[in-house]
Amino acid sequence: MLQRDDHDRPLTMQLTVIQQVQIPVLSAMLLGGCAAKLVRTLRLGSMEAGLGPTALFPLRLRRPLAMLVCAMEFGLGVGLIVTAGNVGRGEPANTIRLGTGLFFLVAVCALLELRSSRPDVGCGCFGDFSTAPVSGRTLARSVLLAVAALSTIGLPPLQLPQPAASPALLLGIFAAEIAVIGALSPEVGEGLVRLGYSEPCELRTLAVERTLTALRKSAQWRRHADMLTANAPVDVWREMCWRYVVFSSRHAGREAQIVFAVYLRQRRPAVLSALVDTATGEVLPWPALPARPAWSLRLAGFLRLAHRTRTATPPRPDAAVRPDAVVRPDAAVRPAWSGPAADPVPEPFHSAAADPDLGIPAYRSLSDHEAAR
Amino acid sequence: MLDVRRDHSCCDRRTGAAAWASADRVARRQLLKSAIFQPQDGAGADGADGTDAGLPAGTFPGADVSGTAQLPRAVMGTVLDVSPQVICIADASGERRFALTAAATAWRGGQLDPAAVRAGDQAVIRLDPSRRGVADRIWANIGRVTGTIVEHSAGALLVDEGSTRHRQVVVIPPRAAGRIQVRFPTLQPGFLIDVIGIRRGDELQGLVPATSQPAYRSDALPAPALVSGHVPDAISGSATWHEPSGERDALQGVAYPAIDPSTGCAEEAGGRSSRGYVRMPYLAIGSILLIRNECTGSSCVLPVIGCAAVARLFNDRCVTCSTSRRGRVADLTLASFVALGGELERGCFSATITIGR
Repeated sequence: MLQRDDHDRPLTMQLTVIQQVQIPVLSAMLLGGCAAKLVRTLRLGSMEAGLGPTALFPLRLRRPLAMLVCAMEFGLGVGLIVTAGNVGRGEPANTIRLGTGLFFLVAVCALLELRSSRPDVGCGCFGDFSTAPVSGRTLARSVLLAVAALSTIGLPPLQLPQPAASPALLLGIFAAEIAVIGALSPEVGEGLVRLGYSEPCELRTLAVERTLTALRKSAQWRRHADMLTANAPVDVWREMCWRYVVFSSRHAGREAQIVFAVYLRQRRPAVLSALVDTATGEVLPWPALPARPAWSLRLAGFLRLAHRTRTATPPRPDAAVRPDAVVRPDAAVRPAWSGPAADPVPEPFHSAAADPDLGIPAYRSLSDHEAAR
Repeated sequence: MLDVRRDHSCCDRRTGAAAWASADRVARRQLLKSAIFQPQDGAGADGADGTDAGLPAGTFPGADVSGTAQLPRAVMGTVLDVSPQVICIADASGERRFALTAAATAWRGGQLDPAAVRAGDQAVIRLDPSRRGVADRIWANIGRVTGTIVEHSAGALLVDEGSTRHRQVVVIPPRAAGRIQVRFPTLQPGFLIDVIGIRRGDELQGLVPATSQPAYRSDALPAPALVSGHVPDAISGSATWHEPSGERDALQGVAYPAIDPSTGCAEEAGGRSSRGYVRMPYLAIGSILLIRNECTGSSCVLPVIGCAAVARLFNDRCVTCSTSRRGRVADLTLASFVALGGELERGCFSATITIGR
């Protein structure tokens, strides 16, 4: 009854191909996990910063455990590849594959424990991509990989595809398994979100220098540059999607300020401007421009810009980069409520009674504090 | 031995009173911004591609806050004398007396009768907004330390609160150790701590955990969630308070967790800027926020006066009245926190901030 005949040969071949596919799949998963953890470690500068089952252990053990997991992933991933062929055939190859299976079985147990005791923590399998809490999909993936690793025990050395086994079958099984693992991996969704992500302008970081460069290329700048009395801005600040740049100016013999609002976008940002009387804060009308063809206006603007660039002192980066350095609130900016709380406070912001830091001396360590007592 | 901190004040504050005196620039900024966005002739607009820019309105949408005159006010000073009916304090403006309501309560490590407050205590007094010169709440010697643990020895912690403050010593008495360790299980260097207690000279006696400890180290903040589309106008989270440090006692304002990184965060060491747990729109010193206490319904408009470099490291929830969303969205001055109806010993309230445009 147990005699085999040639009828089950295709099935046997397919099973063998499935077993052979597991080796590169497992190796890719292990090395990918190790690489993702290393990237996270390099980014944060701390090995114990990794999430995952290490959170189950005391603090002093987390760092060595994280290093151990990473080293095991690397060792097993490389070991699977090295022993896949004739090198290390037999016992060494089976040991590596058994170790891989046990590694994933331990991972399943750790994830189960993590899910019950720290449901808010991600598995950390692929570094920053694995921040979602451990779910059934994560567990199923680990079980699948453990079964895959154990199924390769006793597999003979990998050979080039036999003529009977078409490469299409090999690739098809490989793709199917990758698809199954992808479906079980919450990291795929996270990765796709990051690939297609564009930060809203309110959260976009854009250097002040880039804003100034964009401003100086704008039509608003060319239109009003000849009214400026200084090339360096007197104030720069940002609110949400706009960065405001203020320059000194003169209008009708009076001190004035020109404020530009530059939309925070990489290319061709919108620029708005206004002319404000420095003393009164009144918004002044722009002086009438002489009637000239548009091309001559642009040419004149470029020439003025080139002249300023050659002759004027360039704006000091520190003046532009740290405009908040001297800005503090006072009675002029008060809470909106009326009543006693909003009364102007005559004393300076630094009152004698308001001793900085409550008069606490600077300690370098607790022993200094003890000595001071 | 720990490194000596060579500079305990940031570059801005080191410049002294002259720097603080230029505060009218904050008001100037509001004026200039409104000049930009008020209706004007076409000469002021760059027609290149400003159509999708979403121009801000010229006024703050919540400026007509209802009932703001009913908000309480906080005064601070040294207690000179106290009786069941009257408390007398000394502050920068001299000696001041306040009548106490019959229901007035006090706090000094725990709830107590107002008459139990001692002369010499540093008191924060909440005034009844409906009656002039009447107080209904007193906090004596209250202090708070929020920051990263630098050193830990038996019963004492050295805590770094950011580059603009000295490191603080927190002593945890045995009677409070259990309570604090339930919420702060890892009192190890690198982890965050936030405790409220009593000021005793140059140290804080930590008595009450102000929150639950984040599971991560302060230098390994979890990646913030990605935000798609425009950031909502109203952002919810936890609002906390901080002790005055170089600020006028009655200063009204808020330290905001997301100051424009290009201009730097004064409170952060070395000028480095890291993203906080809550993704919030970048603002500048002087921006205007409408802050609403979701527990009491009080709200008011406050200026941004600093960078909440430490507060933004927390991903905690405030559970004072309901469970807030994760993350701290505002670090209020002590006076603003009291004015918005916050109880100092609780440490936080659920808040919604709306950014003025």
